[in-house]
Amino acid sequence: MKEALMSGPAPHDTRTTGRSLGPEAITPLVLFGLTILLVIASRWISPNLGGFHQVAAIIVLSSFLMVVAFGQQMVVLIGGLDLSVPSLLTLGGILTFGWSTASGWSLIWILLAVLVVNGVIGALSGAGIAWLRIPPFIMTLAMGIIVYSAALGITAGTPRGHPSAALASLFTGRILGLPPIIYLMILFVIAGTALQSYTPFGRKLYALGTSPVAAHVAGLPVGWLTVATYALSAAVAGVAGFLLVGYAGGATLVMGQSYLLPSIAAVVVGGTSILGGRGTYISAVAASLLLTTFSTIISSVQILEGWRTIIYGCVILIAIAALREDLPLWLNRSLQRPSRPPPQAANAQSAQ
Amino acid sequence: MFEAGAVTKTVVLTDPRGDAASAQVVRPTGTHAPYLRAEGLSKAYGATIALSHVSLEVHAGEVHALLGENGAGKSTLVKILSGIVLADQGRLEVDGRPFEPGSLLGARSAGVSTAFQELSLLPNLSVAVNLMLPNLIKGPTGINSARRNEQAAAALLQEFGVTTVDPASLVADLSLAEKQRVEIVRALSHRPRLLVLDEPTAALADPGWLFDIVERLSGEGVAILYISHRLAEVRRLCRRGTVLRNGRSIETVDLTGTPDAEIFRMMVGTSQDELKHKAAPNRNGRGPRLAVQGLAGRNVHDVSFEVGDGEILGVAALEGQGQRPIFRMLAGLEPMTAGSVTVEGKAADLRSPAAALRSGIGFLPEERKTEGIFLGLKTSSNISLPVLGRVLRGAFISRSRENALVAEASERVDLAKRYQGMRIAALSGGNQQKALLARVLLSGPRNLVLYDPTRGVDVGTKQVIYAAIRSFVEQGGSALIYSTELAELVHLAHRCLVVYGGRIVGDVAGSLLTEDRLVSFATGHGDIAA
Repeated sequence: MKEALMSGPAPHDTRTTGRSLGPEAITPLVLFGLTILLVIASRWISPNLGGFHQVAAIIVLSSFLMVVAFGQQMVVLIGGLDLSVPSLLTLGGILTFGWSTASGWSLIWILLAVLVVNGVIGALSGAGIAWLRIPPFIMTLAMGIIVYSAALGITAGTPRGHPSAALASLFTGRILGLPPIIYLMILFVIAGTALQSYTPFGRKLYALGTSPVAAHVAGLPVGWLTVATYALSAAVAGVAGFLLVGYAGGATLVMGQSYLLPSIAAVVVGGTSILGGRGTYISAVAASLLLTTFSTIISSVQILEGWRTIIYGCVILIAIAALREDLPLWLNRSLQRPSRPPPQAANAQSAQ
Repeated sequence: MFEAGAVTKTVVLTDPRGDAASAQVVRPTGTHAPYLRAEGLSKAYGATIALSHVSLEVHAGEVHALLGENGAGKSTLVKILSGIVLADQGRLEVDGRPFEPGSLLGARSAGVSTAFQELSLLPNLSVAVNLMLPNLIKGPTGINSARRNEQAAAALLQEFGVTTVDPASLVADLSLAEKQRVEIVRALSHRPRLLVLDEPTAALADPGWLFDIVERLSGEGVAILYISHRLAEVRRLCRRGTVLRNGRSIETVDLTGTPDAEIFRMMVGTSQDELKHKAAPNRNGRGPRLAVQGLAGRNVHDVSFEVGDGEILGVAALEGQGQRPIFRMLAGLEPMTAGSVTVEGKAADLRSPAAALRSGIGFLPEERKTEGIFLGLKTSSNISLPVLGRVLRGAFISRSRENALVAEASERVDLAKRYQGMRIAALSGGNQQKALLARVLLSGPRNLVLYDPTRGVDVGTKQVIYAAIRSFVEQGGSALIYSTELAELVHLAHRCLVVYGGRIVGDVAGSLLTEDRLVSFATGHGDIAA
């Protein structure tokens, strides 16, 4: 849903003058721009960085984050938070690895099975949130612990299975010089955007996130929408696990751990309101690219791990502070009417 | 400092800057300056001009009316006076000194205090804490003392004659009318020299309480800026008023010498259409559309009534008589403990709002901002929400079909097309209400259940809402309407029920339907009316 023209708190009749871009169009552009600048600048750090292969590698690396960020963003859009992402990613990975036996289920069946298993678990979280009124982060935290513990118990700490050559070829193969996963990701982003912005389901999630009370009064099925959203988030976390098995050639119990905070960071840096109701997937995709690029660059620099994490944290804070909602408004205003004095100045003049 | 009588001699200030030569202009007897003087105030939000060169003066001891339709700029002026936004241009003076408050507290310390229309209380805190913040009283241990705060709050409530509110109760548990009283008492508790009352009676069914306070304060020399859509009460309280239209101050007038029609003309820009025709309901000889039998629930006992085809049935009641639960039960928002509701002879499922909608009941909620509209969405998305299934192309929403449907619905409520693409938060209250009504109409109900549909909207929007309701019932629907304004019910409804103590105590129709009769039923004196 592209919010065109005016936005913001003006409570009065509005006549818009000229063309202007809404925050939801500007945020991803700014993020993509920053990513490109960062890639160019990285050449100064090391001549190995910033090349074509490097860029392709970053896109491949960020694809897992883009997938989990989609689910996380849908949840944040309805004012929730999904802390079970790492466990469900791990579950998806373990199932994928375990089911790809030598004789081999076909990949599509494995993917469908992962979607169903994870979807059911996510639906349970959603049901607890919608009908038992358990706060989202408690519910998903608990569900994450349960799933992780069950995985630990069943695998006895070492997931067993077979690497799938077909799955690995998504990352090692080449179509027009690029790994196939990049084309799949383009399809995924298009499908995600379409679901979010062009279907009744997506539209209703925005409404629910904006005002749960009004959504109930308006007759939206608030409970079922919540269940479906958490099921979706769990299912795509499973997809990320599925893909990660292809990339890494196996599954571990900790494979999901490094995706919890980045999934939230990608959503929030992408301008999605943590209070719900506002944000677009394309911005979260752009933020995933930016964050992955940044972590690739700092991990290639010779500094201690602790400092790297501190820098990463600072960058997230700066990005969020810089990408507040009023930034695009401010940009629009200063681009359109450079001659107009700012309100404070006008005020001061007239007061004299 | 100023005697209240001085102001009453002010007759007409056609030009706020004053033209001493004009015979119409009579200065207050004293030569003193006004307590509040605003000159050339302007404020724009982005490309939106909210106020443009607004000037006005309020004297000490004067109750000065601010009149205008929604979107005329009243709220912006209130925000500037309260320190919430800064004016872009212009000059404000209070008591002869420049006044440029940068915050609510800044305005308060200059003696300006505001009771807001969109109540500014914190719902999760007690009445006492709301009244005492930001200066909570501490106990001997240095910790805020709930007991002392409650005592102080009780004293405040007592002082201003609010006896029905317990200072220990949570604001969220109060009725809208009680919240409004607490909001007003809080503004009074700062002992303002200039009091701004923004639609103070919008939720009060019995405003006499407020009128007494306003008269007392103006007698004490407090300047009061009184904003209301209700011309009758403005006339009762104020001698002078300033009319705003499209962000400009049109005129400051002597209210006693200006007929209603003239004031409407200044507010709307054209003379008001008389819409006083009321055709008899078009019954078609069929059974009732909506039949309620033995309905009971929270504060509601054995309520039965029927609404016929083409009928507008009004509901009148003082605040808190059970009318709210009745409407909310019909909307599927509150459980009923007994009784049955049938729509066109079939039992209605009222377990949830979605079920009520499927049963053919379209509900317009009381609190527009929290229960009605989705502030973060575009106007068109707000309107089309219940009918997205009808605008699909494949699995996806077709923007062109959606826009066509929204345009059609907007036309029924006279909502300008240019608002469709804007966020609904950027619209004025009246236009938001039109959009909300458009959504309810679009959801395809056969019975409208409207709870105070014209709350806080301007004259022009009211006429539009009346027309939309009339055309809905003329096409064979039925409508049940509660309103805090009895005049509105008399004007609009074919028949009117009166609810008192959770029961229906009166049912008046036709020529018997007068405000006097409704009042006597609503105050529990049905025997006199009958």
